[in-house]
Amino acid sequence: MARFRLTVDTGGTFSDFVYVDENTGEISVAKVPSTPDDPSRAILAGVELLIARGVAPADIGYFCHGTTVGTNALLEGKGVRTGLLVTKGFRGIYEVAEQCRPHGPTIFNIGYTRPTMLAPPSRTGEVEERVAFDGEILTPLNEAALRETVRELLARDVKSIAVCFLFSFLTPKHERRAREIILEEAPGVEVSLSSEVVPLIREYYRLSTTVINAYLHPILARYIDNLDARLKSAGVTTPQKYIMQSNGGMSTFAETAKKAVATVLSGPAGGIVASVRAAETSGFPNLITFDMGGTSCDVALIKDGEASISNRGKVEGRDVALPMIDINTVSAGGGTLAGVDKFGELVVGPQSAGAQPGPACYGRGGTRPTITDCNATLGYLSPDNFLGGKMRLDKDAARRAVETEVAKPLGMDVAAAAEGVVRVINVKMEEAIKAISTMRGHDLRDFMLLAFGGAGPLHACKMAAELGMKGVLVPPHPGVYSAMGLVMSDVKHDYLRSRLTPLSRASEAEVNAVFAELETLARADLAREDFSEKSIRVEHALDMRYAGQGYEMTIPCEAPLAPGGLKALREKFDAEHKKSFGHTAPEEPVEIVSWRLRGVGVVPPVREPVYKPTGAPLEKAIRERRIARFDGVDLECPVYQRELIDVGAEFAGPALIDQLDCTTVMPPGFLARVDERKNIIISMGSAT
Amino acid sequence: MSADAEKKIDAVELEIIKASLDGIVQEMQNSLFRTGYSTIVRESQDASCALLDSRGDVIAQHVVLPLHIGSFPACCAAVLRTYDDIAEGDAYLINHPYEGGSPHAPDMCVITPAFYKGALVGFCASIAHKGDIGGPVPGSCSGQAKETFNEGLHLPAVRYQRGGQRMVEIERIIAANSRTPELVLGDIRGQLGCARLGEQRLAELFDKVSAPMALASFDRLMALAERRMRAAISEWKDGRYEAERFVDDDGVRLNQPVRIHLVVEKKGDRIVFDFSGSDDQAVGPANIRPPLVRAATAYCLIALVDPHIFINTGLMRAFEIVTREGSIMNPRFPAPVNTYNPTVHATVEAVFAALADMAPAKARADSCGSRSIIIGGRGGRAGQSYVQYEILGGGGGARAGQDGASGTAVNQSNAKIAPIEIIESEFPTRLLRFELIKDSGGAGATRGGLGIRREYMNLADARFSIRSTKHVIAPNGAAGGGKGRVGDIVVNPGREDEKRLPTRYADYPLKSGDGFCLDTPGGGGLGEAFKRDPLAVADDVNEGYVSVEAAARDYGVALTRAGRDFVVDEARTGALRAATK
Repeated sequence: MARFRLTVDTGGTFSDFVYVDENTGEISVAKVPSTPDDPSRAILAGVELLIARGVAPADIGYFCHGTTVGTNALLEGKGVRTGLLVTKGFRGIYEVAEQCRPHGPTIFNIGYTRPTMLAPPSRTGEVEERVAFDGEILTPLNEAALRETVRELLARDVKSIAVCFLFSFLTPKHERRAREIILEEAPGVEVSLSSEVVPLIREYYRLSTTVINAYLHPILARYIDNLDARLKSAGVTTPQKYIMQSNGGMSTFAETAKKAVATVLSGPAGGIVASVRAAETSGFPNLITFDMGGTSCDVALIKDGEASISNRGKVEGRDVALPMIDINTVSAGGGTLAGVDKFGELVVGPQSAGAQPGPACYGRGGTRPTITDCNATLGYLSPDNFLGGKMRLDKDAARRAVETEVAKPLGMDVAAAAEGVVRVINVKMEEAIKAISTMRGHDLRDFMLLAFGGAGPLHACKMAAELGMKGVLVPPHPGVYSAMGLVMSDVKHDYLRSRLTPLSRASEAEVNAVFAELETLARADLAREDFSEKSIRVEHALDMRYAGQGYEMTIPCEAPLAPGGLKALREKFDAEHKKSFGHTAPEEPVEIVSWRLRGVGVVPPVREPVYKPTGAPLEKAIRERRIARFDGVDLECPVYQRELIDVGAEFAGPALIDQLDCTTVMPPGFLARVDERKNIIISMGSAT
Repeated sequence: MSADAEKKIDAVELEIIKASLDGIVQEMQNSLFRTGYSTIVRESQDASCALLDSRGDVIAQHVVLPLHIGSFPACCAAVLRTYDDIAEGDAYLINHPYEGGSPHAPDMCVITPAFYKGALVGFCASIAHKGDIGGPVPGSCSGQAKETFNEGLHLPAVRYQRGGQRMVEIERIIAANSRTPELVLGDIRGQLGCARLGEQRLAELFDKVSAPMALASFDRLMALAERRMRAAISEWKDGRYEAERFVDDDGVRLNQPVRIHLVVEKKGDRIVFDFSGSDDQAVGPANIRPPLVRAATAYCLIALVDPHIFINTGLMRAFEIVTREGSIMNPRFPAPVNTYNPTVHATVEAVFAALADMAPAKARADSCGSRSIIIGGRGGRAGQSYVQYEILGGGGGARAGQDGASGTAVNQSNAKIAPIEIIESEFPTRLLRFELIKDSGGAGATRGGLGIRREYMNLADARFSIRSTKHVIAPNGAAGGGKGRVGDIVVNPGREDEKRLPTRYADYPLKSGDGFCLDTPGGGGLGEAFKRDPLAVADDVNEGYVSVEAAARDYGVALTRAGRDFVVDEARTGALRAATK
């Protein structure tokens, strides 16, 4: 009987592992150096760590992996040679893209250049065919000419072909026939159809998404095949092998490559899935997730236990129109640099010291102060207990850097300068949080700040207080939180369909018919992945807008709609619009633009361990007392070793909490308690 | 405020306030884009937001359209001039190019005062382009207008809300004067929501840092922006420089180019841009008001000094503008202004050209300018009257070491292109072609970007207007580079009734079944084309950007076929290039 779950999240520096014993619920974690040339080597090393503990490989019943193989191939231009087929006369769609430059400083940048085309004009073929806005075929597919065009592309040595015809999301017939012809001509070539990858209205976004898919599909397929073979050779034979996607759900090994583009924004997804779970189990259904690492900070919103989803995003300027967890990223991390410019202005970011030379206190030759150096200067980091003592911090180097580059030029004392820099970076991160919360009509007083990543818990308390939030939650393993999420995810496939439909002319039956069609697809796919009827759940939503608006709101709904359901939906849309945007127009006509159905294959949840107090006194968890700086005052405070703090313990700030991969800072006035799942729950004010 | 008080602002506080202001204008902007009703605001994003101080100077602006940086202070000044009883909960509308600073009537500005503890501390404002604000043609921009009275409904500064209550009369007047009243009022309400959001966020900032600190920091940020500008300018070569550019025509007097002339005098950190030598004011709508001249100049300076500079009114104080009353750059009321964009593009290009010898090497050739097409009719998909409005770019000018971008918005313009599938779903129009135009980029050591070709078929009777530029006068190359190809607009191409329209034309009647083809200009080339790397020319031919003939003629590069691709014929290329020495 399989007893173990194993997950791995491959990052740039480390591959993080989480092992769960399904019988006891016991969780253990490990970090193995990543092997970027072939990430599966590090994965095998992690699997072997588990085997070395006496676990039989056959007992690993579940494997889930978060990978950036697709993302990296895209960023580094290492996808396969890709061709593109478009409707005759419309080769401008891809190259012109959105036509505009990104907002802000780019408009003034004479040297701005768009990302290179993944399928250049020389590998773009035009196809005689045309579908009208209502789905009617205006020009039938010219198969003979298409065959000729495909041969041209093949002669240019393409390995993968994207097909994106106008209005194919309504009438996919021509795209499907094009695939048949391509495969007749070249059985080995991969084909990505826009009507399958993302059957949504707005040709450029659909095309861009489909081209990225074509570009990455063979790369991901090869990677997964190789990984699968290695796992099998190590004896890991479970059919339950999954890859994380950008939408926060998993996909099976077999399905992932076909929709490779769905992984390119999956990096932060694991952490959000873990956060959603924390929202269920901690008693705090509303969370802002705050993941601060070395160079960037990701924030996301979870309301009533649901992560907010965005329907479109960008990877390095390339457009992806697929559902993804809505994450706001700012360049603010431990490595972010601070300095003073020649006009006497303090500059914090966006430049980062990166891994090399890194912060001054890492002793790798860095002399410019980073956020980490400021935190070290303030006494928050333990020089001899950083990364569990594996790395010594040079606090003097940190102070020197802050003094020379910030304090002296501004005529401030060193600690005040360090504290000032931290306040500035906090405000930047707070603005990122406001952008996804208050700006969308949420009241932060109802939200906890869930801090993870190497640096999140250092900054969380001050930020939560500034934002007027309810408190802070630091999970037990903030440094491997993404891998944690992989243990808890379900399989999720999204099915989309655009069909511009005025609500006034629609009937419940029509709306239900489209949903029924999508549901059939979802159930068939999930059944193929061995999910039983009982373990399949479907979620419905409609993208709606006021007629003529250029942007839709996704309104979740229960399907099939009962009689009168459309009227209720309309009211819900008005209410949501009011909530998000502050105004509404109940007299204006509303349109349905797209149907969204999510098929969920429910994976039995892990029984997470619930701990009881052992009675260990809190004093025993104090490893030292140290002076640290809080709001201009030096205070002596206890430094706790987190692993030694008992469940149920309560203590007040000022305090510092060390653990293997991060430190939590609690300024005066904050109160902490450790809950039965070993989360640290921090509240503000001296009241309760 | 005194220099002493200014110094007391802690560098940390200043940075925190700056980051907060950035967040506020970003938040306002996002709200505006998401709440705007019309395709223009939401898909083309022709809208901007700003925070102003109580004198009406811009404190912070999220830059979507750089031109609006000149418009906000002028609009706010009109409100301050007109009303002495500004109160909390008020909102004002203004779209008047002479009373305020709107480039033209469709650019409606919504301004709300921000109060803190009973005192006026600033204003929150947004400008968003309206699909139709009345006048003789759909879209309100008649290329044949001879007075502003032909350019739609003009509101001087008028109160739109009192105590947070909408003045229904104002809405009824606007609704009665627009072909698309729902969209216009919907957009205005979206703008109002975004301004109220700004007020709320500003009050939170004042709560956090104290009002005196916030106000002093606003002044300090403006002073800093000015100092940064002046410091960069003082490093440039002193001297007197001159440049001119031409606009095809003013829309009324056809075949008569309009001249923009500029003398720049620079000494130390002082720089004066004198446009007095420009043509007298135009009869047609090619005039621009001084706030736009100022904004166009600021655009170039920001591009040359630091694209990341914090945008506020301070940087506008680092340079001086001279315009002659009665000229195209400072017309007398009621001269028409609706087609301002070609003149602004020419102004931007004149400023870049004049500064090319003075400022550090950021040379670039001229670009395509920008254009809009407007199709209006009464048979929309839902049976209502409609206005289909699109903004199109073309080829960008070649840059030092970089080819110009193809099919792009350029200079101060930055509209998104409207998706074909949305256009066809909403309007009785069919697109027949959307591609880049081969050989339209100016030849040069670096090549100009390519223009766009869009071909349309009309499926219902409609009225067509175009406001374009550079259909007659091609985008200039720089440093020996060739010109970009001109743009063109032809109705029913290839048919017996084929007809070329002028660069600007309003209200051409299109019948169902009529088509038209719009070509947008390519960008100019930079440097001598015969010095372009022959391999880059071969790539251009293989990608379809340049024809084999043009490669030989314009670049002196001879190509031969090798399989499916062309490769450089070294010997013949050497001969071609030697022959023209």
